[in-house]
Amino acid sequence: MNWIKIASVDQIAADESLAIEVQGKQLALHQCDDELFITDNVCTHQYALLSDGFLEDGCIECPLHQAKFDLRTGQAMCAPATVGVQTYPVKTEGQDIFVAL
Amino acid sequence: MTSISSILIVGAGQAAAVAASALRDHGYSGRITVVGNEAHAPYERPPLSKSVLAAVDIPEPAIAVKAPDFFHSQQVDLRLGVEVSALDASARQAVLSDGTRLGYDRCLLATGGTARALPAFPASSPAVHYLRTLDDARALRARLRPGQHIAVVGGGFLGLEIASTALGLGVDVSIVETAPRVLARVVPPIFSAWMQERIAQYGAKLYTGQAIADVQLPDDAGQPAILGLTDGTRIQAAAVVVAIGLAPSTQLAGGAGLRVDVSNGGITVDAHCRSSDPYIYAAGDCTSQTRADTPLPLRLESWQNANEQARIAACAMLGQDAEPAAYPWFWTDQFDCNIQMLGLPRPDLDYIVRGSLDSSSDSPRFIMLGLHDGKPYQALAVNAGGDLRALRPLLERALPIEAAQFADESMTVRAYAKAVQALAATPG
Repeated sequence: MNWIKIASVDQIAADESLAIEVQGKQLALHQCDDELFITDNVCTHQYALLSDGFLEDGCIECPLHQAKFDLRTGQAMCAPATVGVQTYPVKTEGQDIFVAL
Repeated sequence: MTSISSILIVGAGQAAAVAASALRDHGYSGRITVVGNEAHAPYERPPLSKSVLAAVDIPEPAIAVKAPDFFHSQQVDLRLGVEVSALDASARQAVLSDGTRLGYDRCLLATGGTARALPAFPASSPAVHYLRTLDDARALRARLRPGQHIAVVGGGFLGLEIASTALGLGVDVSIVETAPRVLARVVPPIFSAWMQERIAQYGAKLYTGQAIADVQLPDDAGQPAILGLTDGTRIQAAAVVVAIGLAPSTQLAGGAGLRVDVSNGGITVDAHCRSSDPYIYAAGDCTSQTRADTPLPLRLESWQNANEQARIAACAMLGQDAEPAAYPWFWTDQFDCNIQMLGLPRPDLDYIVRGSLDSSSDSPRFIMLGLHDGKPYQALAVNAGGDLRALRPLLERALPIEAAQFADESMTVRAYAKAVQALAATPG
């Protein structure tokens, strides 16, 4: 796997999402219930950044129209989204957070 | 428990599709028939005034509520282009426009409504447009050409969205609103003022406190319409769009003897979306319901309400408990702003603002909280949906707000919301 460092652990707080651009891809790093997840940052329903959204119950909710996506699988959990977002493997080594593209 | 083997859903819009889906999700395996008078499978209406209307030289976006194979795979009998002409409530039968009779164990009225008409602007006139259906949106879209001038009658959410989309297509727009300000029924004056500045920034002409005094409509689409306002202003427009509200479709309910609210015109339903007939339920734009915090019954025209009432009605029909309706939430996208509203408008609220009410910014961002006795009941957010979502528990629980703390931008809204909830959780 091609691991790329994207952030350090002190850059992301609990229940927060961070917008990250890697190799031209817009990604969102989420910290939810002490676990890290990475998804595409652009909502599949309309152009909005999930990193501006709301984390709850293992899902990220889009700030525009409250479409919910499962952080683990990327699955669209509720309307108005019908298409899931892509998720990416994430790992932490020491203070560094990596994504695999 | 009586076993139900056939459910009829009248209407094939958002509420209908969500109800059919909820019935299957909650284990109902009997017959479901959905009857709709439009030619299209259930679709979402919010995009009609936005991306669908804007799709001038680009493909129209897909707006179906359910995936194409949903109705077949879930064994939902979808009958399009058919009207239910009457409901025989005592026989529990519906009479369809094609002459057939359909028996039901339970019936859901999800009939929505039609665009309220102004007699001076007949829909049959080539220069006049109303917007409720996909066909309406397509017809209006065909009239929107750069350099044309259109008049929008009605400064509510829909009229403003239409104006915004038209401006984005290079169309000149004049908006006529009888109230002294836009969105007068739903937002405070300070928000209307910001909105009106934004509208002016985008080049629309806005006439508030004006009614249409006289109209000349052309016989063919090539000629302009001429509107005269009460102050004598004359407006020439290639097309006139009338967006003055929704008339709920309640003829079937009335004919079946169901209670219909005199003030808001909707089919009266209880907290479980049951009408005055125990076998008939209703959901969406056509209903009137008294909610937890509201003294009077309301007809709530929102995408969320259609979804929530559809879900609640489906559960109630099956004799199952449903999670209570979510806190009212609404959005509108216009003039490059995502504007969201939490809670219902009330005349007795004092508003505090966090952020800047700068209408000229490329991406304005602010949140307004409407307080009564220091507790929040309505919130308006511009380009701050995630923050608004974080504030929701404060409104749901009516937690006391300290204005200076709310407005202090050195703390994020999320951190602020967490702090207020933590404070409420500590005893004493």
